Amino acid sequence: MKRNTPLITLLAGAALGVVLLVASMLTTPSSAQPNYSAAAASSAAPAESATSAPAESSEAPEPAESSATASAPAAAPSPARTTPTRADFTGRVGGGGGSVAVAVHGDKAIAYVCNGSTVEGWMRGKVENGKLTLTGKNQTHLTASIHTGTVTGDVEAHGTDYSFSVPTVSKSSSKSSGLYQATAVVQGKMIKAGWIVLGDGTQIGSLETDESGETAVTAPKLDVATMTARIGNVVLHAVPVSGVTGSGF
Amino acid sequence: MTAPPTQPIPLPRKPAASTTSMLIVPSLIGALVALALGIYGRVHSPTGIAINIAGFSSPGAVKSWLATGATVFAIVQVGSALVMYGKVSRVTAPEWIGGLHKWSGRIAFLLAVPVAINCLYALGFQQYSTRVLIHSVFGCLFFGAFTVKMLILPKRGLPGWVLPVVGALVFTLLVVIWLTSAYWFFSTFGIKR
Repeated sequence: MKRNTPLITLLAGAALGVVLLVASMLTTPSSAQPNYSAAAASSAAPAESATSAPAESSEAPEPAESSATASAPAAAPSPARTTPTRADFTGRVGGGGGSVAVAVHGDKAIAYVCNGSTVEGWMRGKVENGKLTLTGKNQTHLTASIHTGTVTGDVEAHGTDYSFSVPTVSKSSSKSSGLYQATAVVQGKMIKAGWIVLGDGTQIGSLETDESGETAVTAPKLDVATMTARIGNVVLHAVPVSGVTGSGF
Repeated sequence: MTAPPTQPIPLPRKPAASTTSMLIVPSLIGALVALALGIYGRVHSPTGIAINIAGFSSPGAVKSWLATGATVFAIVQVGSALVMYGKVSRVTAPEWIGGLHKWSGRIAFLLAVPVAINCLYALGFQQYSTRVLIHSVFGCLFFGAFTVKMLILPKRGLPGWVLPVVGALVFTLLVVIWLTSAYWFFSTFGIKR
């Protein structure tokens, strides 16, 4: 080949990747900015003369091309990290169609998934080696793993499956962010409300209309100052579910 | 008297490069690409969001459609390769088959890149289920294998089996990636925009 067009193809793809990566970082709101360890940034080693790595910014670790021994990437060394034993995570699910909250307290966890209306569910379970397997009524279940301040996984409730990757609750952006629940007996039925308050103050909440949890409706708005919500003349008193404080466990 | 016919002076032949030596550097580079992607996926804290494309119902749908597109072009790759190597009976390779092969490959690769960036950035390298573990590993391997293929293409003197094997590897990796993601997505959420 007169011009090394395969190499051009490869570099064009790498350049596209870099552009998209930078664009992703720029569109990520600062509260969700990931932290890069210094080790990651220095993974871009000088390249072979046959391929030249695209110009790299000092912050972003990008796919670099240089020589190394052939080995499966499954053996990628995991960086030293401490898995939090008491933490709360909230965030929107992938696609933004709902939200999920996970409270981890030692080896136990509680999670709540909610789309603000009929799709919701509470789950409980164990945490082992940073992996969560939680289940609840009506086949609600969640599998996820905790890694560097984020919990990532899948959750299914009422036949709807979401993937998610949500960060630790940051009290600096909204003091009331987190997961809340309230129960009451209305007309002989035990109702249970759950609210996920996100870092930007948005509330997503649903209300199970009886013990079975089979039907849910949008929850009344939670007044975070008084921790109460009203349905008609019934006042719900909300209680936080938090792995950090142990409340709700 | 005529000059004696001159014989060409035999020049010392360059030692022919062995297959192994020609493959070593590209393999190492490909392995490093795969490793770097895996390391990035593990070290980077997934954000749950990444740059998006309007017109789709969710980022999962965007990626599933783009990935499906890449896989369709990859199938064109295999088909055109079979024709190029004369493996399809009664079909002689037309002139444009090489061009089709190259361009379908480029399009497949360039469709795969945004999907991979979104996946790495928003979700990271995960292992909370077999499906995501296989997807994460094969995703890294795919880009490594594709790098190897691009780097060995200009090399002369490789045995005939090398390119088809590497091409088949790239294709297989992509199909498994598609099965553990787009196929799962469409079967879970339905085929939607």
